[in-house]
Amino acid sequence: MPEALSLLCRVPAHPESRCWALAWSPGGALLASCGGDRAVRVWGRAGSSWTCRAVLGDGHQRTVRRVAWSPCGSYLASASFDGTTCVWKRQEDGFECVATLEGHENEVKSVAWAPSGSLLATCSRDKSVWVWEVDEEEEYECVSVLNAHTQDVKHVVWHPSQELLASASYDDTVRLYREEEDDWVCCATLEGHDSTVWAVAFDKEGERLASVSDDRTLRVWRRYHPGNQEGVVCSGTDPTWKCVCTLSGYHSRTIYDVSWCHLTGALATACGDDAIRVFEESPTSEEAQPTFSLTAHVPRAHSQDVNGVAWNPKEPGLLASCSDDGDIAFWKYQRPEGC
Amino acid sequence: MALLRALLSQALGRLWGCPGHSPSHSPGHATPSRAMEHDRAIEVYDIIRTIRDPEKPNTLEELEVVTEGGVEVQEIGEEEYLVTIRFTPTVPHCSLATLIGLCLRIKLQRCLPFRHKLEIYISEGTHSTEEDINKQINDKERVAAAMENPTLREIVEQCVTEPE
Amino acid sequence: MAARFSGVLQLTDLDDFIGPSQECIKPVKVEKQAGKAAAKIRIEADGSYFQIDQDGGAQKLEKAKITLNDCLACSGCITSAESVLITQQSHEELCKVLAGNKAAAPNEQKLVVVSVSPQSRASLAAKCKMGVLETAKKLTTFLKSLGVHYVFDTTFSRNFSLLESQREFVRRFRRQTEDRKALPMLASACPGWICYAEKTHGSFIIPYISTTKSPQQVMGSLVKGYFAEQQHLTPDQIYHVTVMPCYDKKLEASRPDFFNQQYQTRDVDCVITTGEVLKLLEQEGVSLSDVDPGPLDTMLSSAAEELSTHPGGGSGGYLEHIYRHAAKELFGIHVDAIEYKPLKNKDFQEVTLQRDGEVLLQFALAYGFRNIQNLVQKLKRGKSPYHYVEVMACPSGCLNGGGQIKLEGGSKDELQHVERLYESPKAEIPEENQAVAELYEHWLGGRDSEKAVGTLHTEYHPVEKANTSFNIKW
Repeated sequence: MPEALSLLCRVPAHPESRCWALAWSPGGALLASCGGDRAVRVWGRAGSSWTCRAVLGDGHQRTVRRVAWSPCGSYLASASFDGTTCVWKRQEDGFECVATLEGHENEVKSVAWAPSGSLLATCSRDKSVWVWEVDEEEEYECVSVLNAHTQDVKHVVWHPSQELLASASYDDTVRLYREEEDDWVCCATLEGHDSTVWAVAFDKEGERLASVSDDRTLRVWRRYHPGNQEGVVCSGTDPTWKCVCTLSGYHSRTIYDVSWCHLTGALATACGDDAIRVFEESPTSEEAQPTFSLTAHVPRAHSQDVNGVAWNPKEPGLLASCSDDGDIAFWKYQRPEGC
Repeated sequence: MALLRALLSQALGRLWGCPGHSPSHSPGHATPSRAMEHDRAIEVYDIIRTIRDPEKPNTLEELEVVTEGGVEVQEIGEEEYLVTIRFTPTVPHCSLATLIGLCLRIKLQRCLPFRHKLEIYISEGTHSTEEDINKQINDKERVAAAMENPTLREIVEQCVTEPE
Repeated sequence: MAARFSGVLQLTDLDDFIGPSQECIKPVKVEKQAGKAAAKIRIEADGSYFQIDQDGGAQKLEKAKITLNDCLACSGCITSAESVLITQQSHEELCKVLAGNKAAAPNEQKLVVVSVSPQSRASLAAKCKMGVLETAKKLTTFLKSLGVHYVFDTTFSRNFSLLESQREFVRRFRRQTEDRKALPMLASACPGWICYAEKTHGSFIIPYISTTKSPQQVMGSLVKGYFAEQQHLTPDQIYHVTVMPCYDKKLEASRPDFFNQQYQTRDVDCVITTGEVLKLLEQEGVSLSDVDPGPLDTMLSSAAEELSTHPGGGSGGYLEHIYRHAAKELFGIHVDAIEYKPLKNKDFQEVTLQRDGEVLLQFALAYGFRNIQNLVQKLKRGKSPYHYVEVMACPSGCLNGGGQIKLEGGSKDELQHVERLYESPKAEIPEENQAVAELYEHWLGGRDSEKAVGTLHTEYHPVEKANTSFNIKW
């Protein structure tokens, strides 16, 4: 099994610090990383290696926890423990900070762009999720402050094609939000994890959602629309999200991140046991009860906790990971025979 | 590289006030791995016992917040250990329990010379909000953010610095 | 405990719906006893704490008490802990006071005055399926059956808030060239907004906030000042209760600025919400529609026995009154109809006065946290175009306050129904209210007298972030 995931390259991306998160640009050519050194770095391929193309070092006063590219690839947003979110515009010779979003009471933990590119979501230890709208003049206005979670919100992610937002929290739940009239509302609460939910990821179609937790499990949730044939009860016109699969026993510590490849359907996880794992759905798997099997496992992928994993959006099987050891690693995933 | 790390850790150890380690490999009756675990536990305890209470002039050992019995070390991989610490706050509603947890974590993070995973818990039944505190002090993101708060950091530094 | 304070106060450090014994960061002073050291503390099964000293003796420990006042002065949470509210401002507390009052010797008894907000009245009317006048009359009878002596309407005191706001705006407008923080003037009637502003944006935002007291606190001054004099009572001999659409009003009444040091009494002793009035009715087993209507009380004999309202929306009509007055006073323009232009959402609307294409006045309504947030950020970036903003913490304003009765069914239609009820009485013009004019002249000694300023205006105080504490939440 080890050969299923082979190391291509390892880069000391945030030396003497930790690397918290990664984000591939929509075109797949650039990778942004961020970390405890308060910097965002942008990496590009140079032969068989990866080199740093830009350092965005003057935007934040504290750790940068997450980065996100806009769907057009021209903007990069960074969420920081300093309570702000910076929006960087790609210029010919680097990146320029064009907006600083203030308002969260304390650490901003995550940021994500909606598929349209005109909405941005942020979340914070202050328990709230904010939706921001950007106008033609690059002015950002808060369109909603959502207080559905009762604790620290760890991660926000948008549906791949719809204006549906998901958030994961220290309160052990995942919540979904949609627009209603001129505000946003929480339209679903996904309960089942026994501890902090660290990250969520939609599949390509957006009909399923994977969540990973401190409870050392990965759960897959499926959307059931009102009037579904399976008879899953929905309240009103909102779909119900039901847990259809729980992967337990694979991870020996907290799972910090999950990436669902939209090209191959493979799920990768980043775990506090220093390992990277890849799961794939069995071909015979049923929709209502899908089965996933472990197809790759690199026990010591890093020398410390793995914090992030990200599948390249254009090149099937190219996976990047980052860790408390400050490194970024690039991997080639080869689906094992017979899977 | 490993040597460099060890040297670095020693140098930083001095800088951060970690006690000098003299790993005593006492050949016990138990299996080698058990003996190693025991030695590691002593090493861990040696690091945490001198942490000062955030409020009082005493050390955590003097206040019996930490005890040797509250340290458990288990080998979970090649040269890798799971360190579990249970501590007892001085009072069951102690508002400083999270801060003590933070001090334990920070000092061990800096000073433990071997590869490890760390779990810190309140001794069962000794705090009114035990579960909440356990969750918070084992959330590395919360810990990292706390250490970027200058006030908290200063308090922690004062507690974990070795007296001259 | 459900979220009861307005959304603004439910934010983060400003809200953690927690028991004060668990997470409150207010440092408690402990009287240290010399000599005895190293005592242990034990929790009993019932949650009480015992200190065990070295010779084994056990002593029950007192619980630390946190007051609403402590909460206001602290940069930490706003605790909504039931215990804090109940012991200080709740319908239970009111019942206790009323019961105690009945049992007291005649010369020890207090005069109990209840001032009802028009928003609460409209909410009750909707719930009981009655008109607002009928509701007012029946509520008066009901409250008096409990031992209340007078029932007033805060629409009366709001005349003062509106008049003072109008004049304050004109003064600020004329001062804008020499004082960069004269404009925009931001409304001051919403205590949730004030609390948020003081705690989060402190000295930056405070200069913009109107110093005019809210209707509740003007009523407090009227009752404990003018009315007490009329009744030949000292302020502490009156127990003043208000009925409000919002929990945040409890915090407002607790502000040290509204505490009379001389007589050791608050201008408003107790605030209960509309919902709590309903609880009182239920507790007494009374259906409001079955109660006989009683005559309405007025503070001045000259006032008529009918209800009135102020146009311009359920949050008091500040924008509209100030706008009309300013147009007339500053530009000699008489405004007929006011046209609200909704911007990003229904809770952010704009009103503009133009002459020959030139913008003379630009006002806005900003309700709810998201709009407050955008307003504050615009101000910080120097991009706010407004002269006046009616800021309210609750989306849809005061009629939708957290203390209002939650109605079954479509909340939007219900809210519109409450709105219609609220607007149903005759609209009054504060400038033309004879009783108000009389009070200005005879009690306050004229419009700009020191007494008028002292009685009708207040101050705000930035709350410093607690940075010295061991108890920083992380």
